[in-house]
Amino acid sequence: MSLKGKAAIIGIGEVPSGKFPERACIVSAVESAVMAVKEKKKKREDIDTIIPTGTVYNAQYNNEMVTGRIVEELGLSGVVKNNVSVFSGGSSSSTMLKVAAGLVNIGAAKYILCLHSEKLATGLSLQGGIDLFSTAGIAKEWEVPFGQHYSSVAALATQRYKYETGTTDEQLAAVCVSNRKWAELNPNAMFRKPLSIDEVMESKMLSTPLRSKMSNMLADGGSAFVVTSPERAAEHTDKPVYLLGSGSRATHFVYSQEPDLTRFAFADAAKDAFKEANLTPQDIDVMEIYDSYPVYQLIGFEESGFCKRGEGGQLFSEGKTWPGGKYPVTTNGGMLSQGHTGGGGGVALLVEAARQLMGKAGERQVKDASFAAYTSTGGTYFDSHVTILGTVVPD
Amino acid sequence: MAKVEKPIPETNTWTEPFWDATREGKLVIQKCVDCDQKIFYPRLICPSCFSQNIEWIEASGKGTVYTYTVVVNNAPSAFLDDMPYVVAVVRLDEGVQMLSNIVECDPASVHCDMPVKVAFKSINDEYTLPVFKPL
Repeated sequence: MSLKGKAAIIGIGEVPSGKFPERACIVSAVESAVMAVKEKKKKREDIDTIIPTGTVYNAQYNNEMVTGRIVEELGLSGVVKNNVSVFSGGSSSSTMLKVAAGLVNIGAAKYILCLHSEKLATGLSLQGGIDLFSTAGIAKEWEVPFGQHYSSVAALATQRYKYETGTTDEQLAAVCVSNRKWAELNPNAMFRKPLSIDEVMESKMLSTPLRSKMSNMLADGGSAFVVTSPERAAEHTDKPVYLLGSGSRATHFVYSQEPDLTRFAFADAAKDAFKEANLTPQDIDVMEIYDSYPVYQLIGFEESGFCKRGEGGQLFSEGKTWPGGKYPVTTNGGMLSQGHTGGGGGVALLVEAARQLMGKAGERQVKDASFAAYTSTGGTYFDSHVTILGTVVPD
Repeated sequence: MAKVEKPIPETNTWTEPFWDATREGKLVIQKCVDCDQKIFYPRLICPSCFSQNIEWIEASGKGTVYTYTVVVNNAPSAFLDDMPYVVAVVRLDEGVQMLSNIVECDPASVHCDMPVKVAFKSINDEYTLPVFKPL
């Protein structure tokens, strides 16, 4: 049984990402939620299910989201039937959408608010962030004792990917530059100043061959989207964003157990997603490829079928992924430029896919975008998700 | 800044034979008695055939570097004094993969597919990590 065309995103909301010491995390959540709910031109009381995803900067705040704080803050006490957290790290966007689509499809919910909020830039110290991410999702028995942390995690994939594909450091840097080109046009992005390949190459080495400007920056932020059935969606908007296909695989828990650190399972995930949507990579107008580090963006792009393995670096270097290029990729700037809001980095990218299809992306709007592909992954890239969205439901 | 203690492995009852062995300078992995699958890290059931009939065997201690990185900046607090240090995924000749450190060599000399053999580094009286050095 397929969820193709059985659910639609009808509203999106997002607050700017960056360093906002004065902005409480709940403010990011509420403001994003209000935007997403208002956009559907219906009463907030129609929201009968809320799916907050996990927040990692503060366990207390996360517990508050799990136990209904957002229900109360939005004035929906006694109205919301289910407040249930769905969390798989960076792929929470995909798993929330899948769960929401399933619930509306079987009639268990009418309108579902999915939301995320995080305070990783100003709710933690820099070293606190490094220490948090040296344990979050990293196995305490088999990896933490060896000094594994997120930079080394990304560097391990980058090193082997370079070795097997011949991709150069400059091509990896070109991914960062491409994302920045888009972020220059994104008012919600953390980094909007132009970036050059030289600047990336001259930035501080962290874990070879990974440099600081090849790394995402932890950010405060929030984003939200509302999911409903296609029938209800038609009452609210003439541009619902339909779920057309989704594919995914979970391939490891301990990072060093991943059978192929240069591919993960995006090829299998993409095969399932495109088959369900009855589309091919050539049909896709905008590719929202999860980054966090340039190597994963290249892997996600190549393995999803947008170009051959090892050829992605060249396309990024030639500017074909920039605004106006043949392959509009990661059009909000990704976590490398919009900022890494934990699980929210993926939610922001899914919201961007919907935004592009709704025709609401402003200066960075991809003209006549009808179909979008979105990839995501959580933890230490423990799973690979590919989601296809569109403004129409193909046969 | 106060020195931060090295994180010790958070072990489980069924993984204790592994850590008992490293303390004695031996690298052991599991083997499924039913399907012969070699297993690392230690599991409760064979990931290949779901059997609970698992035994311990001593590994050759030899393998190759699947991938590696030299950590030169922004390490976790407990590892700041160790920089530069090499983190690597090692593929043992038995076919299993494990995360480790490459030691006793110039970090710049480490490369993908480099042959390595196990060595042992004690963190305290109780725990010894299996690390690797050039073969």
